[in-house]
Amino acid sequence: MKYVILIHSNPEPWGHPTQIYTAEGRALSPEQHEEMDRQFDALMTEISASGELVTAEALADPASATLYGWSPEGHLATEGPYAEAKEHLAGFFLIDCASRERAEEIAAVFAQPGGVVELRPAMWPGGEDQ
Amino acid sequence: MRSAGLEQIWRQCVPDVLAALLRRYGDFEAAEDAVQEALLVAARKWPTDGVPDNPKGWLIVVASRRLVDQWRSEQARAGREELVARISAEDLLAPAADVADGGERDDSLTLLLLCCHPALPRPSQVALTLRAVAGLSTGQIARAFLVPEATMAQRISRAKSRLRDIEARFTVPAAEHLPGRVAAVAHVLYLVFTEGHTATTGAGLYDVVLADEAIRLTRRLHERLPEGGEVSGLLALMLLTDARRAARSSPDGSLVPLADQDRTLWDHAGIREGIRLVERALATGPVGPFQLQAAIAAVHAEADRAEDTDWAQIETLYRMLRDLAPSPVVTLNHAVALAMVDGPAAGLDMLDPLLGDRQMRRSHRLHAVRAHLLEMDGRVEEAGVSYATAARLATSIPEQRYLNTKAAPQKGRHV
Repeated sequence: MKYVILIHSNPEPWGHPTQIYTAEGRALSPEQHEEMDRQFDALMTEISASGELVTAEALADPASATLYGWSPEGHLATEGPYAEAKEHLAGFFLIDCASRERAEEIAAVFAQPGGVVELRPAMWPGGEDQ
Repeated sequence: MRSAGLEQIWRQCVPDVLAALLRRYGDFEAAEDAVQEALLVAARKWPTDGVPDNPKGWLIVVASRRLVDQWRSEQARAGREELVARISAEDLLAPAADVADGGERDDSLTLLLLCCHPALPRPSQVALTLRAVAGLSTGQIARAFLVPEATMAQRISRAKSRLRDIEARFTVPAAEHLPGRVAAVAHVLYLVFTEGHTATTGAGLYDVVLADEAIRLTRRLHERLPEGGEVSGLLALMLLTDARRAARSSPDGSLVPLADQDRTLWDHAGIREGIRLVERALATGPVGPFQLQAAIAAVHAEADRAEDTDWAQIETLYRMLRDLAPSPVVTLNHAVALAMVDGPAAGLDMLDPLLGDRQMRRSHRLHAVRAHLLEMDGRVEEAGVSYATAARLATSIPEQRYLNTKAAPQKGRHV
């Protein structure tokens, strides 16, 4: 089963890894950051070796986004960022794992200061019999 | 001859070709790469030159040459003496086609056991089995599992390095470990089957049908272990389930539930074979979960019309399955059978505890089954609510579409 882990964050200035650029992240000690990095690296090594990590991307500043609205008269493009959002999509990981429990276990490690992590199952085109 | 037919011939040879190289050279990673390269050569040459008289021997020769060439160039580059020491002068002379294919012994079991080694994570076991035993290319496997080819390539190469690191041997494990190892192989083949059975994409010219691969490999395993009751049960389950393939989806791609399927579209030869297999396995026992699931599929298959289904027998079989291998999914199916025998209220009672189960509560199937039983019970409004919950939780696009239609027939796209 495939899941996406969506990292919503509001780093200032925009940068990766986002937790070192958020107000909450800056309030932490270097030791706390090191510990988080260590845990995260261990997880990356683990899910790469197990084949659960499918792909991941860090995203550019939302100011570089272009938004497309639809109307019957024609499509309208406007410059980003998407104004209604306080936190923006900063990156995503696509994982492929055996169960929802496992996906939750992985996603929990992504929790970070100044951001919200969202785990969502991916839809797929097949279906179960019966 | 169409190239799909040629592909079938060379893929049939893969386990024996790989086994021959493994016995001679030992290095799984290098041998497997050489076999893949030999398959590429076959893909290029056979359509124009025709199939060799001895395709297996031909592939062994080509793959051996590749392997030896690779080692020679590595030696030249790095002077790796350990490799030289392992290869005798005789080995370095690529064998002639007519002597290459010696014994008739089938190494596919040994190879399956190696690919499903307990040191590998399940997805790697699946990927490696499809490549090394089924002879699929990395691209084909990646497309079948809807992941990028680079991801699948990495999964396979890590699995191979892992086997090298733990020095996994190309031998049949000791007798006391064998049943557990065969059970792991059966589980991997079942995963290949369910993935292939449920996916409706991948109908491109070079895409393979995973369900067909799973049946082919299980058939081969069954030939090797004809007395293995669970292997027979697994093969029967696959054949009986696959027999419904043509009736499972309508021309527009939507799913057709078992009760609504046009049973004349079922593959009756497959059904007969499945029933024969499961009857024989059950008679010789010990009974196992695959045999019981196959028996349930057989009872469904024996009914010419949905309303002729012998639900009492199915209910008994689910009770046996619950005792042998209890799981929330078994309870879910058991509840449907019980509802058909004793009425929807009995089925709903059986489902109630599952609503408190943290994982099951989020499974669309629980709510879809509840909705169905509520509908049977005439509780139309509650059924609509349950169908809507099920639709929200579904991650399969056609299933979600079906459940949304049941929840609110008037909403959605006009067609």
